[in-house]
Amino acid sequence: MAERVLITGMGMITAIGGTVAANLNSLQQQQSGLGFTRFIDTIYKEILPVAEVKYSNEELAQMAGVPGQPEYTRTTLLGLIAMQEALQQAGIHDLQEEPTGFINASTVGGMCDTEKVYFDIIDPAKEGDFLRYIDTLDCADCTQRIADRIGITGYITTISTACSSSANALMYGARLIKQGLAHRVICGGTEALTSFTINGFNSLKNIDKQACRPFDHNRNGLNLGEGAAYLVLESETLVKRNGSRVLAELSGYCNSNEAFHPTAPSPEGDGAYTAMKEALAMSGRTIDQVQYVNVHGTATWPNDLSEGRALERLFGSQTPPFSSTKPFTGHALAAAGAIEAIYSVLAVQHQLIFPNLNFSEKMEELSIVPETRLLEGQAVETVISNSFGFGGNNASLVISKYEG
Amino acid sequence: MAAITPQHSFEGDLFSQPLRNNTSNLFQVTEPDYKAFIPPNSLRRMSRLLKMGLTTAQKCLQDSGLGVPGAIITGTGKGSLQDTERFLKDIRQYEEKALNPTPFIQSTYNAVNGMIAVAQQCTTYNNTFVHRGFSFEHALLDSILQLQEGAPHTLTGALDEMSEEHFFIKSRIGYWKKELVNNVDLYKTLSPGTIAGEGAVFFSLSAAKTDHTYARIAGLKMLYKPSPVVVSAGLRTFLREQQLSPEDISLVLTGRNGDSNFEHFYKELDAVMGSAPQVPFKHLCGEYETSGAFAVWLAAHIMKAQQVPLQWFPMQEAFPSGALSRILIYNHFFGEQHTFILLERE
Repeated sequence: MAERVLITGMGMITAIGGTVAANLNSLQQQQSGLGFTRFIDTIYKEILPVAEVKYSNEELAQMAGVPGQPEYTRTTLLGLIAMQEALQQAGIHDLQEEPTGFINASTVGGMCDTEKVYFDIIDPAKEGDFLRYIDTLDCADCTQRIADRIGITGYITTISTACSSSANALMYGARLIKQGLAHRVICGGTEALTSFTINGFNSLKNIDKQACRPFDHNRNGLNLGEGAAYLVLESETLVKRNGSRVLAELSGYCNSNEAFHPTAPSPEGDGAYTAMKEALAMSGRTIDQVQYVNVHGTATWPNDLSEGRALERLFGSQTPPFSSTKPFTGHALAAAGAIEAIYSVLAVQHQLIFPNLNFSEKMEELSIVPETRLLEGQAVETVISNSFGFGGNNASLVISKYEG
Repeated sequence: MAAITPQHSFEGDLFSQPLRNNTSNLFQVTEPDYKAFIPPNSLRRMSRLLKMGLTTAQKCLQDSGLGVPGAIITGTGKGSLQDTERFLKDIRQYEEKALNPTPFIQSTYNAVNGMIAVAQQCTTYNNTFVHRGFSFEHALLDSILQLQEGAPHTLTGALDEMSEEHFFIKSRIGYWKKELVNNVDLYKTLSPGTIAGEGAVFFSLSAAKTDHTYARIAGLKMLYKPSPVVVSAGLRTFLREQQLSPEDISLVLTGRNGDSNFEHFYKELDAVMGSAPQVPFKHLCGEYETSGAFAVWLAAHIMKAQQVPLQWFPMQEAFPSGALSRILIYNHFFGEQHTFILLERE
């Protein structure tokens, strides 16, 4: 019998809060984190809304306990803050006591800081402190700085599959536990806003100039966000040995590729359908046992159509309440999967279904509409969380109430 | 398997390919004719690393004789540098207006994975690791997990390129030797830094032996930022786990690269392995994040042919005699990510 994979700690920072509790509060108060950037140098500063974490790098460095060290990029600082909360919540004080792995996710590494000095770095005539940023160019830099700060003692790596990166990090960590290669792995992702990604998605004409409207007939693209989120995954054996408090179980997962197009999903949602169906099958649950789907719901025209079709194909007329929380947090790319996995755990823990903000008109292609109200006191025991990315990468996670 | 590397590795008989020389400290790949693998209208739009990766992957599948893989898993330290550099410059040059999205899309680290999936119509598991000297090794570990979970076979690869611009950037913080070194002379004098390399290497990994099998991957161990003592202890543990002693290893492939900053780690290997025959491989491919994939590719060829391509090792006086039943690879990336991989004869 393979190990069950249990969630024993969570930490996060997003535009709607610097902790898990602050995020929960903003979700319940229906307070979006969208606004205009204070920290990115771009001509779209007052045109394209983003969900930016409200603290400057200096403030984040204070919060993370590493002030005055510029080689800690914003990506690293966000990650470190989320990681420290996750460890604290899991009651982990000494990582030496149990080999602990770290599977991180990042889409552009330290680009947030290196893009500001890149043209100095490549100019042989220029010398200066900016040379310290050179090693932060890649995706492994943030992972290693976080790992070194807290003293990771097990497997360490970084995954980058675009918008599904941290969902895949969770999946990989869970598989290491199931196959007996580790008893504890901390998984998630970190993402800082950059001019690089704002211009990237804008060049794809994917960004809405208004707050994004997932699953709305008039949706017109996504808003980018930033943040970091980590979940502590432990084997049931370790949980029983340590008497750890279990928040929820990661009971199923699936990664399925669409093999359709580099950036666009298939119109019938083949990848999304397969990912949800297989993840649910692994969890041993049936469709009527799913009380909530935290959809990918980027509010781009093709994603929501494709994902909506997949929901209809899987659930038929019995589609459970579903919502996209991206109008709260923006699309935080590599961190999105882990942020929404935490929201799914919160849904189970607090018996909540979160509202899909900014919805007004049903899509004509679909018969289903997202849940627009905050539903409290719901019997939420099984949640599907979706993350889909470029390269046709589709990942679904099933988060369930743990019954030992 | 298939490989695009600084050597003539893509086509023909490896054992009759001459050694390629290079004197610039930046050892770039020998690019094949991509037209046989990629349609011309796609080829025009694709950047260098994407062409290298997609072509190597397709050739690997041809070589394996296997059908659509059950998983596509890659590792890359840097992804498509050419596209990242281009998009950064486009943003500046065109002042963030009317940008061509292609370099942004292609700069995504899993872009090659997605393209292979489309080309092969492979709708199953797909993942990309981007962690310096562990990028390929975690792709390998993930593949082994996939095989144990029931995938019949995986397509597992590693790809990295080194642009002139990035070579300059890394030279600013001492990655490369200041003096120009002929790759053949890489091990003659130790000095700070090494030579830069690149490559794309793909493997078909199957749970069961096939008619095309080169070798068996018998063991994999990773050590993160170990002290020298931890390296030697880790190697002893690794051998013990395999129930082997140093004498059981027919050949050791080492990642030695002439860098005086990190040579001490290889001394630990020497001490543990004693008189086991050793050959270095970095003069063939240069130093890069996923050079471990080059080493596995070379070791698998050696294992299958039961011979070493002697012409590639002019600096080497002695080679192992007798059967080559086990090859141990030890590599690290600038002292941070250390890996042991064991190949056995099938």
